[in-house]
Amino acid sequence: MNYHECLAWIASKWTDELVVTSAGTSSEIWFEETGDTERVFYLEASMSLSSCFAAGIAFGVPGKNVWAFSGDGAFVMNAGMLTVERQMNLPNLTHFMVSNRVYGSTSNVPLPGRSDNDYAAIARGFGIDRVYSFGGMNELQAKFEEAVLEPGYTFVHLEVDPLDQRGKSPPMDGPEVKFRFGRHIEKVTGKSVFSDPLP
Amino acid sequence: MEDLLQASVSSAARATETGYSEDVSRQIVDICGDSGISLVASLPDDWIGQTIARFEQDNRFTHIPVNREESALALCSGAFLSGTGAMALMGASGLMTLVYAITKINYTYEIPIFILVTQRGSLDDGAKFHVSNGLYFDDVVKSIDLPCTVIESREELPKIAEAYHHAKKISRPTIAVLPKKLLLGKV
Repeated sequence: MNYHECLAWIASKWTDELVVTSAGTSSEIWFEETGDTERVFYLEASMSLSSCFAAGIAFGVPGKNVWAFSGDGAFVMNAGMLTVERQMNLPNLTHFMVSNRVYGSTSNVPLPGRSDNDYAAIARGFGIDRVYSFGGMNELQAKFEEAVLEPGYTFVHLEVDPLDQRGKSPPMDGPEVKFRFGRHIEKVTGKSVFSDPLP
Repeated sequence: MEDLLQASVSSAARATETGYSEDVSRQIVDICGDSGISLVASLPDDWIGQTIARFEQDNRFTHIPVNREESALALCSGAFLSGTGAMALMGASGLMTLVYAITKINYTYEIPIFILVTQRGSLDDGAKFHVSNGLYFDDVVKSIDLPCTVIESREELPKIAEAYHHAKKISRPTIAVLPKKLLLGKV
């Protein structure tokens, strides 16, 4: 699949889910496609932690669905994150793992195990029931509703081609990302993120 | 296979045999509960086996054993953004692995988290493989300006809650350090 086309299509299906993107490409494309600055936490310093970060959010707001994006560079670095996600088994968390077999944020340096890594098999090996693997747009579009819109913790492997050029980072500093996202959580859930009185 | 709760009972029994104080663990858990913490992500350390088991067994908390310390940090950071009180519990070695994650995630986005950590490598630690913590832990913590409170005795246990709330005030991580003598109930 074409990376940009894949994420742009998923973004077109986005309704009210909370989204966590990861370092580099997924943040850049998601911002380019949506321009959103409220419902997305652009975790550009993610280093394999975007899905666990998203799990923390999903745990605290069970009434909202959360989409986490990570890359296969993150997966290779921290495949064990799936043991935590499997254990938590949050019905409102979907983990999209975008695989292009390179470190896309750093000049497409090849990934270790790039020709052999079977990410869906690894996810199943950790005991995850709902695992989907898509290598083409037709398959993704045909199964998206079943894979993503039905409840249940889900791992979605998206196999895409490496991109030749980088996009632009969302034009916000870290604290702005935090406050915009946190204020949105406060607004839609009624929970207090920043406003609790402190002793 | 035992479920998590059953396994934590066995683990607590083993920890008690090694001399770690049930009372101190209970006090730590109560202080955390009273301060509003409801999610605890942990990595093991012999000294806090008792404490980890208590969090697992206490209905006030959701306890998540994680695969590595960075996952605990990520979970707690996300939990903060959902308005959930959270804490990471780990050994000193675990904290030493977190320099990148703390500085890149928590400092970049100014996300507060609270980490409770053992004081491995102290003079009374008999484990040679923790010597490096004794040599470098304090300097590493200072080098990233990480506010650190050592809990010197049972009387000082309420400082755990203060350190937890302080993180929210300053929008940065804070840590509280548990010495061996405290966890053994000797001070």
